[in-house]
Amino acid sequence: MSEIVFEGVTRRFPLPKGGDFLAIDRIDLTIEEKEFVAIVGPSGCGKTTLMRMAAGLDFPTDGRVLVGGKEVKGPGPERAVVFQQFALLPWKTVRENIGFGLMCKGTPKAEAEAAIARYVDLMGLTGHEDSFPHQLSGGMQQRVAIARAYVMQPAALLMDEPFGALDAQTRIVMQEELVRLARRNPRTVIFITHAVDEAIYLADRVVVMGRKPGRIIETIDIRPLREDGGWEALPIEEVMDTPDFTHMRSRIWKLLKAREQERPAVPAPTPAPVPAK
Amino acid sequence: MQSLARSSRGFGPWRIPRRALVGVATIGVALLLWWLATSGLRLLNPLRLPSPQEVWAAFTQISSGQGYGGATLWQHAAQSLWLVAKGFTVAVITGVPLGLLMGWSRRAETLINPIFLLLRPIPALAWIPLAIVWFGLGDTGKVFVIWLTAFVPSVINAFTGVRNVDPVLIAAARTQGASTAQVIRHVVIPGAMPLIFTGLRLSLQASWTTLVAAELVGAFFGLGRVLNVAGQDIFPGMILVGMAAVAVCGAVTTWLLGRVERRVLAWRPAV
Ligand SMILES: Nc1ncnc2c1ncn2[C@@H]1O[C@H](COP(=O)(O)OP(=O)(O)OP(=O)(O)O)[C@@H](O)[C@H]1O
Ligand SMILES: [Mg+2]
Repeated sequence: MSEIVFEGVTRRFPLPKGGDFLAIDRIDLTIEEKEFVAIVGPSGCGKTTLMRMAAGLDFPTDGRVLVGGKEVKGPGPERAVVFQQFALLPWKTVRENIGFGLMCKGTPKAEAEAAIARYVDLMGLTGHEDSFPHQLSGGMQQRVAIARAYVMQPAALLMDEPFGALDAQTRIVMQEELVRLARRNPRTVIFITHAVDEAIYLADRVVVMGRKPGRIIETIDIRPLREDGGWEALPIEEVMDTPDFTHMRSRIWKLLKAREQERPAVPAPTPAPVPAK
Repeated sequence: MQSLARSSRGFGPWRIPRRALVGVATIGVALLLWWLATSGLRLLNPLRLPSPQEVWAAFTQISSGQGYGGATLWQHAAQSLWLVAKGFTVAVITGVPLGLLMGWSRRAETLINPIFLLLRPIPALAWIPLAIVWFGLGDTGKVFVIWLTAFVPSVINAFTGVRNVDPVLIAAARTQGASTAQVIRHVVIPGAMPLIFTGLRLSLQASWTTLVAAELVGAFFGLGRVLNVAGQDIFPGMILVGMAAVAVCGAVTTWLLGRVERRVLAWRPAV
């Protein structure tokens, strides 16, 4: 129902001076129903753009994006998004921000209140229900943004560096929490991150992207490692110390690094500038 | 909090902010200089600048039953306030929705903008003669001219406010299943609200300027009428009373608007 398919997806952005910029070049990727896929890649390789196309907030110049077999025509509450910039409504309290989607859906008040309370508690936001976003730390705002996505019980979760603003401890708590949630209530997840560790620990598959143009370098299945190593039973710091994990980490690092070195450090050659007028 | 604590040092048990004290002192010195220049040392012709006593006498005359220009100060002020309130309100309830519409819909902008570009270069005061021809010297013409002037800043700021709403917020609301009406109500209007209030403040200022000008040209009552008659009578004391009354009325309405703004925008971080 919520399998996400990218079929030869290309995205070009028009440049202000004419011509266009190839942000994503012919990406083919299938995220199975209830699969957890992490995307890693250097800044500007098109991770956010890819996610926005799954969310229905942006559209391919070429190719198609299908969710549950249907071409994506726009956003919908069954695909919840956690934005890189949080995107909380500054004029709504924590409670109202978390409950916004439920309100739009017309969920009965008591039911919505109960759901909000559950996620406020889960995200460690108790006592801040009536604060406005600007009264919270960056990490707390990010937790509100995550709660707001979870509370919708979406079939697909699209998360853009959702733990980027968290401190190391909270980050670990959130990672373990996400794993727990994902086990208890599996759903299709696209999880964008800069942290290779996080990607390996959380994901079924890790997609490594490169830039100029944005494309997939390699897709790595982590499931065999997890099952053989019995990661599920271990705390996160022990998982990260196993040889399998460290090997995988250096393998992905090498992939990321090789792609960067392959190209000159100076800006890639651009088409000869068209003389103005 | 902090700045308050810093500026109010121990002046006995009252703890009057130092800034207020300085302000009072400055005004005191200015009054003294004024008195010296006029009746104290007689440096200035009293027909140019009246002495404080003359202004006070003019004030007691107009605020008592005797009145001036056909009514007491309170009646004139009430008339002016009432017209500003009417013109401003009409301007806001027409201008803000129009600005929101133009901000939200490119089509509405393309359609309406040309009319704006055509009308905007005409200074509001240039409308006054036409308003008198159309509506006479009564209230309607003045409300009409106030509406014309106060309308423009309301529209422009509501428009800019909508265009400045962070697109990510609209996207986020859409992904949570918000309908267009819900996006407008919960995202676009609150997001535009800070600039809408900027527009309202400018509209209010424009309302007062226009009103006084319109009343100067022709009116039966109002603060502008006081100024006009006092000018014709060459009664400088009364002119100053009229000017001060306009200032006080303007300040009071601005203060009221500021209170509404602080309540509506309570979610904003204090700067
Ligand atoms: N609306 C847009 N208009 C023009 N160019 C855009 C637009 N959105 C993205 N781009 C360009 O597309 C490329 C990919 O952007 P994107 O935001 O997807 O990168 P990213 O991988 O998410 O980077 P980061 O890790 O820094 O968040 C960038 O070079 C960016 O400049
Ligand atoms: Mg990004």
